[in-house]
Amino acid sequence: MSALSITGLSKTYRDKKLQKVNALVGLDLAVAHGEVFGFLGPNGAGKSTTIKSIMGLLKPTAGTIQVFGVTAKDPESRRRIGYLPENPSFFDFMTAREYLKFVGSTYGMELSAIRNESVRVLELLDLTQAADRPIRGYSKGMVQRLGLAQALVHDPDMYILDEPMSGLDPIGRALVKDIIRDLKQRGKTIFFSTHITADVEAVCDRVGVIAKGVLESVDTVDNILEKGVVGYAIRFCRAEGAEEEQLVSREELDATLRQLLESSAVIKTVEPKRKDMESFFLSVVLRS
Amino acid sequence: MKNFRVILQATLKSFIRDRLLQLLLVCALCIFLIVPALSLFSMRQVQELSVTLSLSAISIILLTLTVILGSSSVWRDLDRRYLASILGLPVSRTSYILGKFTGIVIFILLGCLLLGLVATAVIALVSAQYPSDVPLSWPQIWIAILSDGLKYVLVAAVAMLFSSLSTSFYFPFIATLVIYFCGSASQEVYEYITSDYGKTLSAVTRSAINSIYYCIPNFAAFDFKVHAVYALTLQLPGLLFAGTYFILYTSIILMIAVWAFNRRELA
Repeated sequence: MSALSITGLSKTYRDKKLQKVNALVGLDLAVAHGEVFGFLGPNGAGKSTTIKSIMGLLKPTAGTIQVFGVTAKDPESRRRIGYLPENPSFFDFMTAREYLKFVGSTYGMELSAIRNESVRVLELLDLTQAADRPIRGYSKGMVQRLGLAQALVHDPDMYILDEPMSGLDPIGRALVKDIIRDLKQRGKTIFFSTHITADVEAVCDRVGVIAKGVLESVDTVDNILEKGVVGYAIRFCRAEGAEEEQLVSREELDATLRQLLESSAVIKTVEPKRKDMESFFLSVVLRS
Repeated sequence: MKNFRVILQATLKSFIRDRLLQLLLVCALCIFLIVPALSLFSMRQVQELSVTLSLSAISIILLTLTVILGSSSVWRDLDRRYLASILGLPVSRTSYILGKFTGIVIFILLGCLLLGLVATAVIALVSAQYPSDVPLSWPQIWIAILSDGLKYVLVAAVAMLFSSLSTSFYFPFIATLVIYFCGSASQEVYEYITSDYGKTLSAVTRSAINSIYYCIPNFAAFDFKVHAVYALTLQLPGLLFAGTYFILYTSIILMIAVWAFNRRELA
């Protein structure tokens, strides 16, 4: 059983002129236990619609969604999920500590556990200093970090994060990436949407690219990067001692290396030169 | 329904920390300070006027409180994007609506109780200074206050229904006020058309007015002000009718609100 299983998910809206708009078309996707899945797509591609459908905020026109075998229509399906909404906003009359208590209570946590976990996640997200101040005084980045804290507080098995790096400064982004890596090590399942390809490359096992409501591609990050190798940069030293670099295509690599070794050159490094995730993403989106 | 209590607690906390509500409560208490002075305008019926003014003040304050709380309850959470965060937790929409509504009910009834106590003090003070031939009947006065409280709980359910359907504040606000004023006048209109005058109206007009009368809540069922002012004996059937009407009508409206909110898209 997959941690998250989506079958034939479609969502059709009617716009202001009552014209049909297909936000999602027959989306099939399965995310395995312990997998970090990046959901890439340009603005308006259907990322948030998919996530809101998983969280039961939107009702799909067709298709089914199951979270650990429980239908997403049932609020109980969210018991094992930590959810960070896009541009989150929380009861601003509460303090961060009170909000975490509110969240922990909805998951049925004991008060002592909520207290301990709150201290841990507030420390982790660097919010301890602001923990007893009303949320209405928080900056955008602080609210985003509180969003992660409330997703982490009950230590769920799966995280659904909608644009988790949005509104964060470079330090915050690095922190979030570290947290995701740590969760991955602990065997947690993570499904996160983004349009920042570097984030996907840094932390994901697999990536899905959605464009115009259609899931265009699903592949492992390693595969995508492997397929994207266009050549190699060989750094070597000849007998005279000066270091040189030579760029060769994939096909030329073996022959070039043999040639260099025969000429008594000392090979220092061989680095693959590849299209990055961004190039892959753009090629998929432009193809759609 | 597991998280009903959690939503209820959060709702009450939001009301207690709401500066607008705190200001409203202070204004409400100030209104009672002028009741003794205004009662003197009636040379002979100072006590009766003090009861009337106190009950009217409670009614106006509770109406303001109810319409603001009921109309803004769901809209505020939607407008400030709290709903995505709350319903992303294992909280059912039914728990959310009922938790919010119960929070509003508790706040209205506590407000009613507090204002009732202040009104009691004001009426006791005025009646001690200007004794009347009409005896002062505290049970009648308190029944009038509490039935007013129930009336505004019903108004809150109406506001909650409109709020659960709407994305704006204005629609539930205005629609609730319209229903309130229509519901307050419907009994008189009904009695008017069932009198001799009604026979001059067309059958279509009469059945249309009848339909509206049975559809909108009849707030006259909760009006015991005259009994309170003149210490008239209350009839048990009248009280039982008001209680049953309140339970049935509020339950039906809440069921519709929950049904509508469960079907709603929260994009």
